[in-house]
Amino acid sequence: MKKAIILLGCPESPSQTPLAIYASHKLTGMGYRVTVASTPSAKKLLDVSDPEEHYVPHKTDIESCLDGLEEGDYDFLLGFVAKDAAVSYFVTFYHILNTTSMALVFHRDQEKLDDFENSVRESTNAHIASARAYHNPTPLRVRLDRGLDKLAGSEPNIHKKDKVEGNKTPKLDEQGDS
Amino acid sequence: MFCLDTYLRESEDYEIHMTRSGFKDCARFIEKNAPEVVHVKPGEKIVGARIIGVPPVPIGINEEKGTIMLPYTKPCYGTATVEIPVPIEEREKIRAAGID
Repeated sequence: MKKAIILLGCPESPSQTPLAIYASHKLTGMGYRVTVASTPSAKKLLDVSDPEEHYVPHKTDIESCLDGLEEGDYDFLLGFVAKDAAVSYFVTFYHILNTTSMALVFHRDQEKLDDFENSVRESTNAHIASARAYHNPTPLRVRLDRGLDKLAGSEPNIHKKDKVEGNKTPKLDEQGDS
Repeated sequence: MFCLDTYLRESEDYEIHMTRSGFKDCARFIEKNAPEVVHVKPGEKIVGARIIGVPPVPIGINEEKGTIMLPYTKPCYGTATVEIPVPIEEREKIRAAGID
């Protein structure tokens, strides 16, 4: 079974936890064994949100995970990038794993969003899904769906189980989120 | 073996030049202020810890003081620039890991 890792940084943005659960669900549906590597506070939010570990069965601490990480440990990297430190962590995981990767870049401030996006683009070949988001996870969820669909289309080893279940690409929220 | 995390927890013999900063600011500070700068890949193990950052990551070496200066990132607190004394063999390991 292919393995995916989701990186969660500081859970300051309310969008992060629901999107992490959603992304884990999507990737599991695509045939991955998903591990979420996070800070202790982000893990506590996941523990309460998913008490029976239905969506996120495998969790690990981001720092101990990084310490023992080697190329080949995971086949897909998905990183939540909403802070400068998250850029650094994502880029570091990317360069160690050297595998197919996607950065989910989000912030309420457009200038910071652009800065994070540029930093990821300049230092990796990762796919980037980005949106202004804070409380409202929908714009980012739409871009995540599109990004994963694109990856699934370009990689024969990614299964598209979600398609069978009639997964629709929702329309972008008209309302701006900040 | 020298371990950065343990050292920072247990010793007071270190200097913090910047704190809660962005990685780029810390990298610029090291480039500007260290007498010798070695660039390494992110994820490289330096003084027992994975170096976190955007490549090329600068590590400053001050042979006279016997110290190194490096970016130190934590998920919720951003990046700090710390200067710590390390044994000469650790400084040699850093030079050997350089990508310049």
